[in-house]
Amino acid sequence: MQLITASNLGYSINENRLFHNLTFSLETGCGLHIKGGNGSGKSTLIRILMGLTSPSKGEVVFSKPSLNISYLGHKNAIKQYLTPLQNLELIFSPSDLGDAMTWMQAFGLTKVQDEMTATLSFGQQKKLALIRVLGKPSDLIILDEPFVGLDDLSRDLVSQFLCSRLVDGTSLVLTSHIDPSIPCVELILSDQTDD
Amino acid sequence: MVLVLIAFPLSIDVSQYDLNKFYFSIIVVSLLMISFLATESIFSEDYEDGSLEQIYLEEKDFYKVVLAKISIYVFFIGIPMSLIGSLFSFANGVAFDEVPKIFIILTFSTLILFNIFSFGSALSINKGAMLGVLVSLPLALPVIVLLGRAIRTVQYGEGFIEVLSLLAGVGLILAAVMPIIISATLKTHLE
Repeated sequence: MQLITASNLGYSINENRLFHNLTFSLETGCGLHIKGGNGSGKSTLIRILMGLTSPSKGEVVFSKPSLNISYLGHKNAIKQYLTPLQNLELIFSPSDLGDAMTWMQAFGLTKVQDEMTATLSFGQQKKLALIRVLGKPSDLIILDEPFVGLDDLSRDLVSQFLCSRLVDGTSLVLTSHIDPSIPCVELILSDQTDD
Repeated sequence: MVLVLIAFPLSIDVSQYDLNKFYFSIIVVSLLMISFLATESIFSEDYEDGSLEQIYLEEKDFYKVVLAKISIYVFFIGIPMSLIGSLFSFANGVAFDEVPKIFIILTFSTLILFNIFSFGSALSINKGAMLGVLVSLPLALPVIVLLGRAIRTVQYGEGFIEVLSLLAGVGLILAAVMPIIISATLKTHLE
């Protein structure tokens, strides 16, 4: 079943065209890896898919109107003045906290769960932010550069988890300069000079 | 607010009688300053760390989150400040049985001012606080005039219910409508 259908998508900022005439679809249980150089519009395309940004032309249609989307962009959406545990308690309901704690353990964050998030390293904060996506069930996972800052072990963990979610029927859209090692269809955005 | 209410009378040389006449103006101006300062970063922190984006994606009715946020600010900052202001008015010659009236007036005023300045803060996310001030102040000044009028009704004992009804009506309308306007404003920033 086609989950997302994008037709003739185009986006321009101040007469600079980021991309145009993009047409693609995403099936249920499939992955889409958006690739391209810096400034080619990968993050913008993701924001259009989520409805945060309106395209200059074209449209995006979802087969399910109330899609459960988990998203992590460039910003981690975690509070620096709380501990990792408090951040997770803010994000997850008490019944779902168990899954989140399992990921805390898998990422090796249990030993720092009571320290201020501001004192954690970039990679540790990235792992904490990823738990928001990994610990919640969803129909569609959207990740913008999820592997930046992760060590090899964590990257493999995340890749394996995302693969298993694809098998379960969750769809995936991600951008990454690092090879995700996940079976995905590639969508390559060219630079605006490559018309 | 406490700093202003204590320091101002100490800094000028007036008799108790003269201070009674214009002390309420100090309370009103303090309230204005507190409303602006308290709501200056009501949305900016969540915007900068990406939480606002996540909340927008997760919540079907984003304006309810905005309404809840403003309500919490009014409850935990506005109401205590109204209490302090009404107690200070008692310390400056207002009869004790008039203090609840002052408290009610100040509470509705903080409800109005917090909504107005929250709108200014939402508009000026990432653009500096001056834009928020420039937008909010023209909306806040009529409230200050109305607040002064309301306090005079307490001093002279006439028309209190009428002015209070006006304050309450404006406050409740703003409390209902402003979150919708603010959520639309925040959405444009998220785009």
